[in-house]
Amino acid sequence: MSLVRAAWYHLRALVRRSRVDEELDLELRDHIARETKANVARGMSEKEARRAALVAFGGVERFREETRDTRALRWIDTTLQDLRYALRGLRRAPTFAFVSIATLGLGIGATTAVFTVVDRVLLRPLPFRDPSRLYSLSYLPEVPFVIPPSLQDRFYLTYRDQQRSFERVVAYRRAEFSLSGNGDAARVQGAFVAADFWPLLGISPARGRAFLAAEDRPGGEHVVVMSDRLWRDRFSADERVIGRAITLDGDPYVVVGIAPPDFVFPYAAELWAPLTIRLELNNSSFLPVVGRLRDGVTLEQARAELDALGKAMPRDRRDPGNRRKTAAVVPLKQLITDDAERSLYLFAGAVALVLLIAGVNVANLLLMRAAARQHEIALRASLGANRGRLVRQLLTESLVVAGLGGILGTALAFGGVRALLATAPAGSIPRVHEVHVDARVLVFGILASLACGVIFGLVPALDGARADQRAALSRSGRTLSSPHGGLRSRFVMGEIALAFVLLTSAGLMIRSFARMRGVDTGYDASGVVTMSVDLPSRSYPDATRIRHFHAGVLDRLATVPGVRAVGAVSYRPMGSVGIMGDFAVEDGTALRGYPVDKPTVSPGYFGAMGIRLVRGRDFTPRDDHLSPGVVIISESVARRVWPNQEAVGKRISMKDKPGPNDWLTVIGVARDVVQDRELKPHSTVYLPYLQTDPVFFINHMTYVVRTAPGGGASSVAPAMRAALGDVDATIPVQALQTMDASMLDVVAEPRFQTRLLTTFSLLALLLAVIGTYGVLAYDVAERTREIGIRIALGAGTRDVRRLVIGRTLVFATVGIVLGSIGALAATRLLSRFLFGVTPTDPATFAGTAIVLVGAALGAGVVPALRATRVDPILALRQD
Amino acid sequence: MDPVTVRQGTLDMLVLKALSLEPMHGWGIAERIQQVSRDVLKVQQGSLYPALHRLEGRGLLEAEWRPSEDNRNAKYYRLTAAGRKLLASEKADWERFMTAVQRVMQAV
Repeated sequence: MSLVRAAWYHLRALVRRSRVDEELDLELRDHIARETKANVARGMSEKEARRAALVAFGGVERFREETRDTRALRWIDTTLQDLRYALRGLRRAPTFAFVSIATLGLGIGATTAVFTVVDRVLLRPLPFRDPSRLYSLSYLPEVPFVIPPSLQDRFYLTYRDQQRSFERVVAYRRAEFSLSGNGDAARVQGAFVAADFWPLLGISPARGRAFLAAEDRPGGEHVVVMSDRLWRDRFSADERVIGRAITLDGDPYVVVGIAPPDFVFPYAAELWAPLTIRLELNNSSFLPVVGRLRDGVTLEQARAELDALGKAMPRDRRDPGNRRKTAAVVPLKQLITDDAERSLYLFAGAVALVLLIAGVNVANLLLMRAAARQHEIALRASLGANRGRLVRQLLTESLVVAGLGGILGTALAFGGVRALLATAPAGSIPRVHEVHVDARVLVFGILASLACGVIFGLVPALDGARADQRAALSRSGRTLSSPHGGLRSRFVMGEIALAFVLLTSAGLMIRSFARMRGVDTGYDASGVVTMSVDLPSRSYPDATRIRHFHAGVLDRLATVPGVRAVGAVSYRPMGSVGIMGDFAVEDGTALRGYPVDKPTVSPGYFGAMGIRLVRGRDFTPRDDHLSPGVVIISESVARRVWPNQEAVGKRISMKDKPGPNDWLTVIGVARDVVQDRELKPHSTVYLPYLQTDPVFFINHMTYVVRTAPGGGASSVAPAMRAALGDVDATIPVQALQTMDASMLDVVAEPRFQTRLLTTFSLLALLLAVIGTYGVLAYDVAERTREIGIRIALGAGTRDVRRLVIGRTLVFATVGIVLGSIGALAATRLLSRFLFGVTPTDPATFAGTAIVLVGAALGAGVVPALRATRVDPILALRQD
Repeated sequence: MDPVTVRQGTLDMLVLKALSLEPMHGWGIAERIQQVSRDVLKVQQGSLYPALHRLEGRGLLEAEWRPSEDNRNAKYYRLTAAGRKLLASEKADWERFMTAVQRVMQAV
């Protein structure tokens, strides 16, 4: 009963505050009246009696406050009051409100967007059952670590059957399938996976079944599980596809199940087929392997077991990695996200700096606002508001700014994430389909904005509440140089320094990107269109049939209107991986450890691709399997093997132990070409495809078409597609695009990184300029009287201007010096992203400094002009 | 003898005690404490009000506005059952404390 009464007491004090306050006033007034009356009765005069009553009571205002403080819910009331006060204040200062909210909004928006991606890609567990126990297994040479974690097939089989540390051990392999029938032939990403793959991850197909144990043994049934997306897009989500056969690479595969929506592991797979392992002598493939660690087994125990099992395996003399090997067990998540981790953390670091600049900017705005309100605050303090209450009020204002900025920022984050994912090149962000804004991100945005409000609001609030009361009240504070000017200047210099760090980083990326684009590729990409094919071994089992196919396509391409030259190459520049290997030289020069690219090409390839032959001649149709073997080498091979000698006419062989008929004559020397994203010239030995019999060298082929200059490279695409369809409609067209586009694909990731970093640094520059402008403008306003005196004493326009510009230059100079120190430390983290530029590139540093000085001067122009227009008479009359 | 200033915790107890006889308004409570203590206990009158409101907020007192003997409206405080209970236990504690202190002081 008394509890209810007490609760009502507090509730009433909150909801009917003015009524309750009125009653308190009445009660206190009643007390004083009674005491006064009693004093009069004791013989005092009316006036004396009242004075004595007040003395006996103590400070009325103080006890009224103390009494109010006994209300348990008073904080709600006070907070609401502070909120109203803050909102009123912001409405009265719309420019301040707009700039500070927009500034924080941009900072929080960018940070939240990047956090969303970092969170989903790096922080969240993988979407599998108990993913923390999934590890990637490897047994590889310690150095150099050239291949991703994997096991050779023999080791995998031994591990799978003998190890005891893992519940299951499962290998998989990337695959690409040509899916034909059901519409146009298409190339589909997929994977061969061991039958245990599904139970290992704890994933069951949403429809149908997973693989049976026997299905991954040699001779097992051809079955396949299909992704939800492929099922919907290509089979109209028809359940009846389960149990039917589809055609992959010309072979029938029975669809047994449909994967759950969004399941795409590994390699963004759309099709999963059982992985069968046939061991071959002298040849082994490296397979990524995943295991689920048993409860109670430590990582070190598991690693030691794998190491021991590996060491116990018989050594293979021809094993390419016949060096000391060690087992490694790393979390599966690390394997998946490793590549993206650095660039994501780079973005996170950059965006954190942007947020920091935004925060400092807002802190500065609050400082200036507090300084401008000194008079008001001092007045409130002298009227009995205590310092804690004032700090609270000022802090509430910064929290309101931060909160509104946070709301704006979170809204921006939605768009930001979408823009980020839309501009990120395919494959550069793993787990990208898992990325979206959710409650966790909203919480992050709210926390970030609150943290900003407290951190960047606290200094100005404490500073504001400390305002020297007497100085402010006597209004002399206006003409003295402000005690907060130092802090403001330091903040601005800090902003410029941070902006410098970001701008330098972006500058380095831009220069690096320009270097990439300016690289001499060794070929002439303009007007070149390429199209690739893979010929399945079922329909194209031997060299004769494959050559016939290619010849058919090349003949048709040559007749397409607008085509100047045609050719074919097994692995084109800027395409997928190529084949590398050693070769032998007839005169016995030892070349151990000199691997070269070994593409096969058609006659006319060099002309079509625009690769200049510096010596000798091109292959002709007569260089076929009936004629003596010939090769064309690239310049660096010629230099390396026959320095200062004529290479044409020398003989080499691709065989390990060449017989008398295995020697091939060098008939030409071509320029080196850049082959991949490393953008380095490659040493290459070109073989004529007409003389190359191993299927492996010629069943993947890219046709190269050179079109007339200015004669729409894209307009030949339909004719190229038709040419291929004419020869065999079951072979899907791959990568039908211009060489320029392929080149752009290769630099897509650096371009994305450069763009993002540039965006962040321009944002930083904008914020720093706003900050500099704000402080300079405020300075001029605050020093109006001083400037007026100077003008009255004869200072000219130029002197006054110099006053402001000088200050601007001081900000910029100190900021740039500090920024350079920061940048020297920060850009080192960039080095792995840079191409042809050192992280301390002096030109970039100097360029950034010039940009920043220019921007600072730009920010100073308006305040400087305003200073020159100060009217000395008005300025002096102001007080 | 110089008056002794009353501290917070003691004040709560004195207020409860003063109200145990009859409902009173704030000024009356101050007067009562001063009279009964023969002017030894000096209560800063203003400090009574935070104490009264705190006790009311804890459900130990309840209050109502009604006319006093001189026909002016005043806020009268009255002990609740909970207040009465607390007073009894505080009183018992206090007496035990005093007896103990007395024993110590009279020893030797």
